Amino acid sequence: MNVVVALAVMFPSVFVLSLLYSGIDRKLHARMQRRVGPPLAQPFYDFVKLMNKERIIPASASPSVFVTVTALAAASSILGASVLLSNLAAGAGFVGDIILVMYLVLMTSALTMIGGSSSGNPYGAIGFSRRVGMLLGYEVPMLLSLLMVSYRSGLTLSYYDMVTAQSLGGTVFMASSPGAALASLVFAVCIPAAAGVVPFDIPEAKTEVAYGYLVEYGGPYLGLLKLAKEATNLTLSLLFFTLFVHVPLAFPMVGAYNVWANLLFMLAGTLAVYFVTITLPRTLFARVKLGQALRFYVWVWAVSLISAGLVMVGY
Amino acid sequence: MSEPKEIEYEYSRLVVPVGPIHPALKEPVHFRVTVRGEEILDVDLVLGHAHRGVEVLAQERNILQNLYLTERICGICSHTHTTCYAQAIEEIKGIQIPERASYLRALIFELERMHSHLLLLGVMAYEIGYDTLFMQIWNMREGILDLFEEVTGNRVHHSMNVIGGVRWDLTPEMASRVSRVADGVEEARGRLQVAFMDRTVEKRLVGVGVMSRADARAHCLVGPTARASGLTMDVRRDDPYAAYGDLKGDYSLVVSDGMDAQARVDVRIRELAESINIVRAILERLPQGDIRLKESPMRTVKVPEGEAVSRVEAPRGELIYYLRTDGAEGLRRLKVRTPSQANFAGIRKMMVGGELADVPVILASIDPCMSCTNRLTVVDEAAGEQRTVGLEELRRRGT
Repeated sequence: MNVVVALAVMFPSVFVLSLLYSGIDRKLHARMQRRVGPPLAQPFYDFVKLMNKERIIPASASPSVFVTVTALAAASSILGASVLLSNLAAGAGFVGDIILVMYLVLMTSALTMIGGSSSGNPYGAIGFSRRVGMLLGYEVPMLLSLLMVSYRSGLTLSYYDMVTAQSLGGTVFMASSPGAALASLVFAVCIPAAAGVVPFDIPEAKTEVAYGYLVEYGGPYLGLLKLAKEATNLTLSLLFFTLFVHVPLAFPMVGAYNVWANLLFMLAGTLAVYFVTITLPRTLFARVKLGQALRFYVWVWAVSLISAGLVMVGY
Repeated sequence: MSEPKEIEYEYSRLVVPVGPIHPALKEPVHFRVTVRGEEILDVDLVLGHAHRGVEVLAQERNILQNLYLTERICGICSHTHTTCYAQAIEEIKGIQIPERASYLRALIFELERMHSHLLLLGVMAYEIGYDTLFMQIWNMREGILDLFEEVTGNRVHHSMNVIGGVRWDLTPEMASRVSRVADGVEEARGRLQVAFMDRTVEKRLVGVGVMSRADARAHCLVGPTARASGLTMDVRRDDPYAAYGDLKGDYSLVVSDGMDAQARVDVRIRELAESINIVRAILERLPQGDIRLKESPMRTVKVPEGEAVSRVEAPRGELIYYLRTDGAEGLRRLKVRTPSQANFAGIRKMMVGGELADVPVILASIDPCMSCTNRLTVVDEAAGEQRTVGLEELRRRGT
């Protein structure tokens, strides 16, 4: 399949998938709390409803920034997941696409922050400063883990090559060496922070800062930002599953049937990762404070550096 | 040459408005929290968003109608308010209520304390982002609310009290149901204690909103908030009402020296156990006899002129009623001092120096009840000012 065609197909699929995964997440979260929970399609209803709502721009906001970032954030987050999925479907990729994806993930949260701080609301400003703190904590260890995968895959910066390197090596990255296992663990504990869920939903803690940078957003703008968040969650889970624990089924022989079977398998695995790294933490834990979260990520940094050292020397 | 500017701006200082509409608050109250980064520099409290004029309303109604009015001051401790009111009327009239009635009053009182404490613990879990625990606790609380419906006919406004006794009797089947629910809550309480000792929960509560013993006394704090700062005070023990005089040996006063939010949560969890003990003792020793005076309700309205102060230990602390009757079926003055009103005095002391993330935790730890509290401060919206009704004015209106 042509990469461009695949991308065109994947863009709407990611839209549907990220909302669907969010629905499954909410349902499971509710069942674990002994609640009935919303129907699986609830995020779709929410999206449609928000899209039809009135557009309100606060008087204190700078309107152009406030509005533009929402569409940009949604587009860049969906594009991130689409690039990954289309590469897998097309069985090809381009050099540096993994950097593009990480850039798009970071871009999404940066845009949301900027939008929140442009609202003129003090909660938006606090959300911004809290998010900056969190970014310092998780972003670098996360990138370092990806770099280790790249190093192990023969210093490639192509996502597809990194995935297939696991099939060629005959083992998943996570189980390939102690250093790789640590690197995978680091990436996994960074996901809740990057996804902004409890215990690390500090920048948007509703009882503390009233959703932080989302405080002034409503209607279609909020709908787009929520979509951006859900698509980012999907991207992160997909990245983790395919690069760290993906059991490569039949990648060397890409046939028409196998591609779809593989994609389905991958989506199921992504859902499992989504459950473990996003749904479970937000069900099991209470929110921590910024200082406490950063102290935790100091340890993550340390483990991350150790894992990098181990991988570099071949363990 | 222009004059150098004298004004010094502190750009890092930010005033964060918390409330009256905020996800952390279930009821309207407004805080102006001044922060630098995450540190709280100052807190200003604005009450009055739920002012309903209950005290003035009480002067327009007769004594029987006021029983239902006072019940509606609070949706959580409605029985507390009616008991306090009924006691004051009974004192003026010189009524001694039947013994069985006083036991039943205490029974509902303790059930109410249990459901109120569970409510607060759930809210506390919610404030720290622990939604799962919040849902589980409120699920437990449902059992008690259903029990209220069975025993009194209503889940929230029980209407259990009448002047001179209680409305409904406790049948043996109901008694066994009450005892089953008490067993259920006791079992759940153990799990609750474990959940609140979890490390992520502890991180949010230990050392937050510290209120030393001396400060607690100086700020006149009451109830579990005061007991968590080491003050031994409880109206049930200090000035027994209803059947608490007879039940003295069946419970112990829960006091903690923790002085922080964790201690205030812990005191409430332990008080749940004491409430269960009291409920069991009442079920065991419930005396036989009438549940109210034989007199018709229409006659209870006729109360001689007089005044009385009544106080009870509400789930949040000491509740005081002052009332003066006019000798003609009505009230000349009703004054209510709710426990939240007393505890708000400590808010600033607890918050300043803490982190912004602690605001909801500290607020929840005193278990504020806004609807109860908002009857004293007058907010003059037109003039943009607020003032407190002073003693002089109270006296003037009272006569």
